[in-house]
Amino acid sequence: MRTGAARDHVGYFHETAFYRDDDDFLALVVPFLEEGLRAGEPTLVACGAANERLLRAALSDVRGVTFLPGADQYARPTEAILNYRRMFADHAAAGVAQIRVIGDVPHPGTGAPWDWWARYEAAANRVFGEFPLWGLCPYDLRTTPAEVVDDVLRTHPHVARPDGQHLANPGFDPFGRWPAWRPHPLQSRPPRVELLDPSPAEARRAVERVCDGVALGEDERDDIVYAASEAVTNGLCHGKPPVRLRVWADAARVVVAVTDGGPGPEDPLVGLVPTEDSASGGLGLWIAHRTCRDVAMTHDEEGYTIRFTAGVL
Amino acid sequence: MRTAGVLDAVRGLGLHDHVCWPYDDPADFRRRAVEFLADGLALGQRAWYVADSDDEVMRGHLDELPGAAEALERGALQLHPIGETYRSGQVVTPADQVAAYAAATDQALADGYTGLRVAAEATPMVRTEASLEAFCRYEHQVDRYMAGRPFAAMCAYDRHELSEEAIGNLACMHPASGPDAAPFRLYATSASEVALAGELDLDSRERFPAALRRAGLRPIGGELVLDASELDFIDHRALFALAREGLRTGSEVVLRTALSSAARLVELLGVPGVRVEAA
Repeated sequence: MRTGAARDHVGYFHETAFYRDDDDFLALVVPFLEEGLRAGEPTLVACGAANERLLRAALSDVRGVTFLPGADQYARPTEAILNYRRMFADHAAAGVAQIRVIGDVPHPGTGAPWDWWARYEAAANRVFGEFPLWGLCPYDLRTTPAEVVDDVLRTHPHVARPDGQHLANPGFDPFGRWPAWRPHPLQSRPPRVELLDPSPAEARRAVERVCDGVALGEDERDDIVYAASEAVTNGLCHGKPPVRLRVWADAARVVVAVTDGGPGPEDPLVGLVPTEDSASGGLGLWIAHRTCRDVAMTHDEEGYTIRFTAGVL
Repeated sequence: MRTAGVLDAVRGLGLHDHVCWPYDDPADFRRRAVEFLADGLALGQRAWYVADSDDEVMRGHLDELPGAAEALERGALQLHPIGETYRSGQVVTPADQVAAYAAATDQALADGYTGLRVAAEATPMVRTEASLEAFCRYEHQVDRYMAGRPFAAMCAYDRHELSEEAIGNLACMHPASGPDAAPFRLYATSASEVALAGELDLDSRERFPAALRRAGLRPIGGELVLDASELDFIDHRALFALAREGLRTGSEVVLRTALSSAARLVELLGVPGVRVEAA
């Protein structure tokens, strides 16, 4: 039987919480972990280094807690999903009643791009839905930007408070809209290259030419060329004309945006998990999410845009 | 070493070369056929001109070939109306047709030539879907033969009569082709070894699996080895097509390529039964 606030819940109990100082953080998390440990539930911590130090000092006994280095677990959402699903499946196969996880999801306040993590938070309800899982995603209001808080409130069906209350979130609407678009700083300039209706091969050559003047590793270069090729392929196969390729660059980074006139993919999970269905083009976007530094999507008057970054953010 | 890649001319090709030459202008085709056959005669190969015409007209096509009359006289140059060359009628039987050219190559060698060279206007052989399918299969089988024996061919196709898709399906089974014919090429580098070159992306999504099927690659020692040293791009769809080919033939596919991205994709996606080796 599951314990705590998720007692009668089936599947993933996805909860967020907000804190303004270390005391609030510990008031939220320590009881969550200790309750799990007392019940013998697998209890996982994937926090940033500072929060992990706080927890190790505050917990009376850390045996039984699995600490995952947060920087590794949350390097990118595709890998977080793959790693978590592997761990959860092992625990579920062992017949546990509940798994508890607390994780620091990265955002611009911690130096990470947000778009794909916002989509991760929305997708988590589905991609972990089959597991008897209680996931707590605490956000530090000292560093979390307001639009991130908006997305977090939209994507979590439950909210915990430092005073110990667990509330249903009336604002839960995970796929009500896509994350707010943040233009990349380079996008304030005219693009180095703009192509209308390129073939995938033409798109690759255009991105390769721009990469020539940029300090990128060979893999980084291959990855963004591949991402551009796949995005144009998807635009041609699943989107609506015109398909536009735009490329920006400075000495240390390349930004590629591909826009088509269509509504974009319907499934918000696209790119975060592999799809077997070749009609969705999902595998190409999954590869891009696993290789590029940042992948963002938006819908505006031009249609659907997907953007990739290589090099420094 | 056979000539491979996209060519803008047919001059200078060797004893084993196999080029697909789609053309818009029949006069352009004839001029290139003359160049191709003249090179063959200079290399000591017997030269065949194969087209859908009678002797008189075909003779006229070769007016510009230096020494044509004398070469025709002594049998170094021969005219073959297409119906006579491809005896099996409208749909070629690949093995029979390869055997016919093998016999003609042997005869040329027996007659003191260095081999056989054919310039063929082959459009009549691919006018229906069934005949096109059979001819694509034949193109790979004869390519294997040519890689090992002194037989060279220029296969010309009329762009006005054939769709771009049909031309591409034919061109990708040749080591060399004219411009804008096919984005990739699957061809023999010896009687038992196969190479994959060019770019495999959206343009090849259906054509590449079809080309693999038509080639009917045979594993050796449980491996299907592809020399992909001239491969410029491969997407995950093409890698999965290779994986299916491995499954179909009960073999491991070995892709020898300088593209580090191919190895990364295979690892990232866990493409089953495909091993990438650095070329």
